[in-house]
Amino acid sequence: MTRSVMRWHRSTMPSNPGPGPGGPTRIASPVIETRALTKVYPGNVTALDGLTVSVAPGVTGLVGANGAGKSTLIKILLGLIPPSQGQATVLGHDTRDSGETIRALLGYMPEHDCLPPDVTATEFVTHLGRMSGLPPTVAKERAAESLRHVGLHEERYRLIGTYSTGMKQRVKLAQALVGDPRLLLLDEPTNGLDPAGRTAMLELIGRIGAEFGISIVVASHLLGEIERICDHLVAIDAGRLLRADSITSFTMASQVLAVEVEEGLAQLQAELAVRGLTATAQQRVLLVPLGGDDTYDVIRDAVADLALPLCRLEERRHQVEELFRDEGKVQHA
Amino acid sequence: MPEAQATGVIHDLGYRSYDGPRLGRAQIVRALIWHSFRSAWGIGRGIKAKIIPILAFVAMCLPAIVNAFAVSQGNARLFGYDVYDPQLRVVVLIIFIAAQAPELVSRDLRSHVLPLYFSRPLRRDDYPLAKYIALTLACLVLIEVPLLLLYVGTIASAKSGHDVWNQTKALIPGLGVGLMWAVLVAAIGLVLASLTGRRAYATGIVAIACFLTWIVSIVLIQAEGGITSTSTGARIGGLFSPFTILDGVRIWLGGTSPGEDANPGRFGPLYGVLFVILLAACLGGLATRYRNVSRS
Amino acid sequence: MTIELRNVSRWYGNVVAVNDVTMSIGPGVTGLLGPNGAGKSTIMHMIAGFLPPSRGELTVATASDPAGRPSWRNPDIYRDMALVPERDSVYAFLTGTQFVTATAKLHQLADPDAAAVRAIALLDMADAADRKVATYSKGMRQRIKVAAALVHDPEVLLLDEPFNGMDPRQRLHMMDLLDKLGSEGRTIVFSSHILEEVERLSGTIQVVVAGRLAASGDFRAIRRLMTSRPHVFTVRSSDDRTLGAALIGRPAVTAVDLSGTGLQVRTSDYGAFCRDIAVLARDHGIRLREVQPTDESLESVFAYLIAD
Repeated sequence: MTRSVMRWHRSTMPSNPGPGPGGPTRIASPVIETRALTKVYPGNVTALDGLTVSVAPGVTGLVGANGAGKSTLIKILLGLIPPSQGQATVLGHDTRDSGETIRALLGYMPEHDCLPPDVTATEFVTHLGRMSGLPPTVAKERAAESLRHVGLHEERYRLIGTYSTGMKQRVKLAQALVGDPRLLLLDEPTNGLDPAGRTAMLELIGRIGAEFGISIVVASHLLGEIERICDHLVAIDAGRLLRADSITSFTMASQVLAVEVEEGLAQLQAELAVRGLTATAQQRVLLVPLGGDDTYDVIRDAVADLALPLCRLEERRHQVEELFRDEGKVQHA
Repeated sequence: MPEAQATGVIHDLGYRSYDGPRLGRAQIVRALIWHSFRSAWGIGRGIKAKIIPILAFVAMCLPAIVNAFAVSQGNARLFGYDVYDPQLRVVVLIIFIAAQAPELVSRDLRSHVLPLYFSRPLRRDDYPLAKYIALTLACLVLIEVPLLLLYVGTIASAKSGHDVWNQTKALIPGLGVGLMWAVLVAAIGLVLASLTGRRAYATGIVAIACFLTWIVSIVLIQAEGGITSTSTGARIGGLFSPFTILDGVRIWLGGTSPGEDANPGRFGPLYGVLFVILLAACLGGLATRYRNVSRS
Repeated sequence: MTIELRNVSRWYGNVVAVNDVTMSIGPGVTGLLGPNGAGKSTIMHMIAGFLPPSRGELTVATASDPAGRPSWRNPDIYRDMALVPERDSVYAFLTGTQFVTATAKLHQLADPDAAAVRAIALLDMADAADRKVATYSKGMRQRIKVAAALVHDPEVLLLDEPFNGMDPRQRLHMMDLLDKLGSEGRTIVFSSHILEEVERLSGTIQVVVAGRLAASGDFRAIRRLMTSRPHVFTVRSSDDRTLGAALIGRPAVTAVDLSGTGLQVRTSDYGAFCRDIAVLARDHGIRLREVQPTDESLESVFAYLIAD
């Protein structure tokens, strides 16, 4: 399978985004910590089962948690419901008793539609700025700024009902930003967006993480986009932690080279075998274990001697997806 | 002589964080109350949203204006402060509540905007509380301003300071009755409207509930011989509608204008108790409604 | 070809949703792509026979009718075809089993219960099948919809945004399933915005932009056709500068960019570059570590198509 190589800005993003230009220093302790977090609903539905995880500052992807697990975790982190057992702290505050403090520091972008159609974006974001505790003029100013940062400057006086899906998602993001949060919780931010919209939204999120100095947790089902913009990943399965690590550890080089030629794949495979390399064919590519640096040269020579058109040579990287391929059964969340 | 160097500056238009003061919960709730109060009057929302509130207000003020005119011609004050124009008041209030309570609560339910409120430094109960205070204030305006107009219109043609004093003495309890009305009617309107996100349904539910109960009470009382009858049935017939309950409480507390809708007699305390129970039930229902709303 | 559209247009008053589209869809998995509002759902609903074309011809050929017949007003086409719509269209008060069995009965299958069990097992929903659909997560609802669509073993399967709401494991499972069904010779058409997945799953794509067919076929072949856009390759080697100098001497190469991370090579002739690179490296004794086309992905191809 060919990997999408459109990593437009991952390479330019610092791996641990520090404070933005002129922004205050953010502490390097975990932004979210849970310890044996459990939530059981009446009727014996276990949404979270002893979840212990630590989320570092930066952009973190939250993946795998579907349905009950994800929304329960978010509600607990927002201090809206107490856990059945265990503990959760957000930005150093315990969710059980400091819900209000946490909510003052958090910006939340829900997954579902939550916008009234008959107000303008400016009015709406300003009002929510007031609801975040901003004084009246500050709310107005920050609303205008937030809308500018998300790219809705020209359209901000139009009614939200006239907006496209992409614009609506951006309004949701703007209202999360208006209160100057220390942590952003984005739930499926690219929901309903077409590819161009997704790219724009992911770029925006990346920019916020890198330049604005705000830590971000992105809950998403789309592993491709998580690999693109996140520094860390938290994978949850059946209410428990599956794995939490930096993205680079998930996408480490695998010591396997992928070779693709426009034609003559079988020929090349045979030739490599003759030269002592066992190549496995996988759809359009040949996978060759990387024995040492001379593997590169053997491949190069084989291709050149056979006069084959080489269109790809790369060291295969692991993917986050492999985490989910390992288990056999599909989840029933 | 060397020319001055041309200089330029590029300003950083990047993200700015906010380190200024943040308002506490009390002020946030106040902001929400004010925002909702404006919605109740259709302010900030285009012409169509203002039609019903303005018509309601004008209709409510008409008796006061007519009275001012009549008094200036030498007639006595036409309406009591504690009942004003009873039928008109009930009808206008029902229409106002049925139209505007959904503006305050059904709209937010329909657009699923509540998670955005609840993810802010507010408590769950703050939202319904703010909406309730806002609608109560809106009803207060609708009820008390006409009373004040009535007062002003009457004392404008007053002949002596004693007259003015009499009017003032009569006005105060009237304002109190108005407060009682606002407090209960707003609670009922809100809790019923919060049942659904569809504004048309909410309006229908509120209007039908209010009108039906009102008619039921009136019919019951009539069937038992009318307001002046002393039969038990006539006395307690007024317990079946919030408007007649309000009137009953008024009379029990010493309201002097003739009871158009109820005449509780010795059942006065029962009216008082029911008033409190009904109010508590509506507010409790409202709070529970918003504690259970969960979306995402 | 199973599904044929010939000059099909669909309008609503003055709004033209689909504008003179001619396309053929055959067995295997085909991806239907396009920006929001481009007309993909409309095309799918026309193929499914829910909407007639305002103009043009639309026919569906199946084993039972190889000549092809229009799907509009042809209910027995549903023996061979199924649509999984985007919207939530399941009766929430039924259990999964009840819903799928009901669909089986509507199809007048000989043994609806067995067919339902089979379809549910195919979607790996057996454990949850006895719960009410109202208790399902979004991904599970999608799967039960697909189970209901597969209950009568249709030859043609149309899916509108089938992966919506599915978690990663469910997605992988669904992709494997569609891949399997496609390789069995069925005609599967699905629309999606997640291009990484479309790239992986479908051999051919149909790209719809503003109601018109912008491109169709294998996306790599489509990329080759975009001759006005030079191909860009990233190359890393043991001696980038020498390799770069050698490359710029080749007629196919139009530009070479040398930076700390390697070479960016622009070429107007994809095939010529591919033939040259290994030979050049060998002849100069340079070790090739990486050769990557940077804008060959479906994502890039799609962006180019939209931009034009």
